[in-house]
Amino acid sequence: MEITGQLLLTVLMGAFLLGVAAFLARVEDWRSYTPLGAGGGAVGESGYGHSEKPAGLIRWFTTVDHKDIGLLYGAYATVAFVVGGLMVMLMRAELTTPETAVLGSATFYNSLLTSHGITMLFLFGTPIIAAFSNYLIPLVIGADDMAFPRINAIAFWLLPPGALLIWAGFFPLPDVIPAQTAWTMYTPLSAGVGNGNQMNVGVDLMLLGLHLTGVSATMGAINFIATIFTERAEEVTWANLDIFSWTILTQSGLILFAFPLLGSALVMLLLDRNFATTFFAVEGGGPILWQHLFWFFGHPEVYILVLPPMGIVSYVLPRFSGRKLFGFKFVVYSTLAIGVLSFGVWAHHMFATGIDPRLRASFMAVSLAIAIPSAVKTFNWITTMWNGKLRLTTPMLFCIGFVSNFIIGGVTGVFLASIPVDLVLHDTYYVVGHFHYIVMGAITFAGMAGIYYWFPLVTGRWYQRRLAKAHFWLWMIGTNVTFFAMVLLGYGGMPRRYATYLPQFATLHQIASLGAFLLLVGGIIWIYNVAVSWIEGPRVQSGDPWRLDETDLNTAEWDWFEAKRETSLAATDGGEDVTADGGQEIEDDTAE
Amino acid sequence: MAEIFDRDTLLDLTVNVIPLGIILFFVAAFVLIDPFGGLDFYGRVLQMGLLAFPLVALAILTYVSGKAIAGDEKRSKVFFQGQATIEGSPEKHEVEEAIEAEAAGETDVEDPYGGDADEDESEVDPDADDNDDNDDESDVDADDESDESDESDADEDGEVDADEK
Amino acid sequence: MDENPGVSEEYRMVSPWPLFVALGIPIAEIGILFGLVPLAVGGLLLFCGSIAGILRENEYVSSAWRGLAGVSVFVIAGGLALWYADTATASDLLIRAYSLIGTGVLLLVAGVGGDLFARDAEPGL
Ligand code: HEM
Ligand SMILES: [Cu+2]
Repeated sequence: MEITGQLLLTVLMGAFLLGVAAFLARVEDWRSYTPLGAGGGAVGESGYGHSEKPAGLIRWFTTVDHKDIGLLYGAYATVAFVVGGLMVMLMRAELTTPETAVLGSATFYNSLLTSHGITMLFLFGTPIIAAFSNYLIPLVIGADDMAFPRINAIAFWLLPPGALLIWAGFFPLPDVIPAQTAWTMYTPLSAGVGNGNQMNVGVDLMLLGLHLTGVSATMGAINFIATIFTERAEEVTWANLDIFSWTILTQSGLILFAFPLLGSALVMLLLDRNFATTFFAVEGGGPILWQHLFWFFGHPEVYILVLPPMGIVSYVLPRFSGRKLFGFKFVVYSTLAIGVLSFGVWAHHMFATGIDPRLRASFMAVSLAIAIPSAVKTFNWITTMWNGKLRLTTPMLFCIGFVSNFIIGGVTGVFLASIPVDLVLHDTYYVVGHFHYIVMGAITFAGMAGIYYWFPLVTGRWYQRRLAKAHFWLWMIGTNVTFFAMVLLGYGGMPRRYATYLPQFATLHQIASLGAFLLLVGGIIWIYNVAVSWIEGPRVQSGDPWRLDETDLNTAEWDWFEAKRETSLAATDGGEDVTADGGQEIEDDTAE
Repeated sequence: MAEIFDRDTLLDLTVNVIPLGIILFFVAAFVLIDPFGGLDFYGRVLQMGLLAFPLVALAILTYVSGKAIAGDEKRSKVFFQGQATIEGSPEKHEVEEAIEAEAAGETDVEDPYGGDADEDESEVDPDADDNDDNDDESDVDADDESDESDESDADEDGEVDADEK
Repeated sequence: MDENPGVSEEYRMVSPWPLFVALGIPIAEIGILFGLVPLAVGGLLLFCGSIAGILRENEYVSSAWRGLAGVSVFVIAGGLALWYADTATASDLLIRAYSLIGTGVLLLVAGVGGDLFARDAEPGL
């Protein structure tokens, strides 16, 4: 049995390697000559065969162009968002009744809970940000591409295997069950100690997958730091760097310090699980060590996720307020401040662990201090809109929704940062409400603002306005219904991470599920709108579809878009319009 | 250095001085009130170290970034965010001068750039904010008069309604 | 990068290697962690081969064969470290150590052999 298994693996592996070799031979072959001719374009009318890009699927597998990679990240994040969203819909369905009547077992609920969290944070959150930064930053700072295009591609391609490993427990593999450790993977549970079933390889696979996404994020971060430091166009001095690039730079710095630590902690956990080391065992480093290591990564991680969306809002919101961003430099400096301080607050997630009260107090102090830069940004956004000529386009609506939800999420966070309050509310739904106001209400909203705002830039087409607005309102209402109900549940004392609850919580849980349903409908509308408009939306009629020139709020990426349109109109005798995906050889015309 | 950190730059940096101040406040509180008295030395070091580290790190980063940004402001042209590589985009000080001229009463000066309440570069007096507010109001008024027809979200509507027909 | 990205004609917009670097890592990781020899060996071959390919594409090394020989040193060193750890700790790491050392030797032989015999297979580089 053992032998045949190994034999089978060997044969499969050998065949796979042979396939790879054959593929490489073919690719290397055409690459040294001319691009592959036709080939069914995977995405619309991609490339007309000019430049060196091959057509069809092979293009997407071999590209190192930052715009293509940005699109790949975007597609990946969308898939992950759908998966994570469907998982949570099952959970919300389960939570409509106090018993486990819907899913039938708390075990399955716990698996969904774990995967939902990890999927949304690592497979949706980080990649959707990378989608924007990869596509836009080289355009905005006047670089020709990322500093290390191949590393960029490697960073992306690490993600799909990562996702497969993280979800492996759900696949019909013999003897593999999904992890039920929650996204925080607290030891000793995650070390497989005790009578539970967490010694299963499903947990190992998830840890490996997480490790891969961490490696990916780190590679991306190095790339962005190098790009922003060394590839800026001459005019783009530090004083002229835009706010989105600043937030990505800061985020990359955070990733550089946070993710390798997560990677190491994960390896230690894997060693504890598989090789009987005692890093997190009671007789060794102790289970609390995991919490310190995890949150030293984990708190910066929340800012890794929120800073670039703040950058998107700071970038987009002024365009529809008819004026420049108020206090631009305040926003830059407070971004940097958040970056530094976020490493000094990790134990506010551990207030209830019996940690020494003196240390707890210090962490509280820094946690309160970090609220200031966040508040400063909020005031800057509001002041930018104050007395401005607001244009309530869909991206603008999402930006305003961001600000609104961020205020609730931020204020609930400041309460949690206060030790006495946290001791009451820790591990209740209040915490769940707090961070979902931010991860859903703010981060995802900013992502949507970005998607709608740059949709014409990327696709050369318009989305459907009414659907987009329906999406916004469904989400705005849905978010607040769902997560405010959770805040109230938390006040009522409902603990988090349970598949069952006392009957007195039923009403609020049902309200939360109703809100989640609104979110689902909005999400379906969004996917439909983007997909259909990408294929057959009306083409934009100018290089400045948002008419930013009128208020002198044009920015470099639209300038690039305009130049690209002109070039492609000229190149195709005026008949054809821009291609649906990233421009090909045109960018060197605009780069200076 | 004295040149780089002029009053404007220092004003910009106040935003990071506030969190530094909050941390210092707690340092002082913990020392003076000493809520968890009778500590061993090691605990004290940890407690203060957890405050001192972010404090020092933030101070250093604020200094370094302030130097880089303000230095580049003095060394080369300053544009608004995202506009540096666009040909023919106005420099920041040009816009500010236009706004100021307008605020000073030369109403015929069209302000084509949109107001920016942030622009306190040339104003170091404490009530810079009031002036800026005025700038914005006059800016909005001017725009309202000149192109009434084009406020609201007409442009997106225009583009997309075509599709809905 | 020495490829002078400003010049679009010469700017390589494609590279086949990143995908396989990224596939090699998880396969090798799984193989080494669970002691599955075929996955460990195959994953490492894929990973190291792609690294060598990238190094050559960047012209950091003059031929992919030399790149292979170069990375093989690291693999063998890793294997030896595991071998040492096997005796120094209670864990059973021998099978993993052998996979690494074996793969490393394979890579080294391929690298040296290729460099000696197959140089012509890569015209122009
Ligand atoms: C505005 C400043 C913020 C403060 C002071 C703050 C404070 C806190 C505190 C004290 C907790 C721990 C609650 C507990 O477990 O008892 C917490 C949890 C959490 N916060 Fe925040 N937060 C802030 C902003 C954010 C932001 C911007 C994000 C997201 C990007 C975020 C995401 C989270 C998450 C995910 C948790 C849950 C951790 C867990 O699984 O237990 N917070 N926050
Ligand atoms: Cu935190």
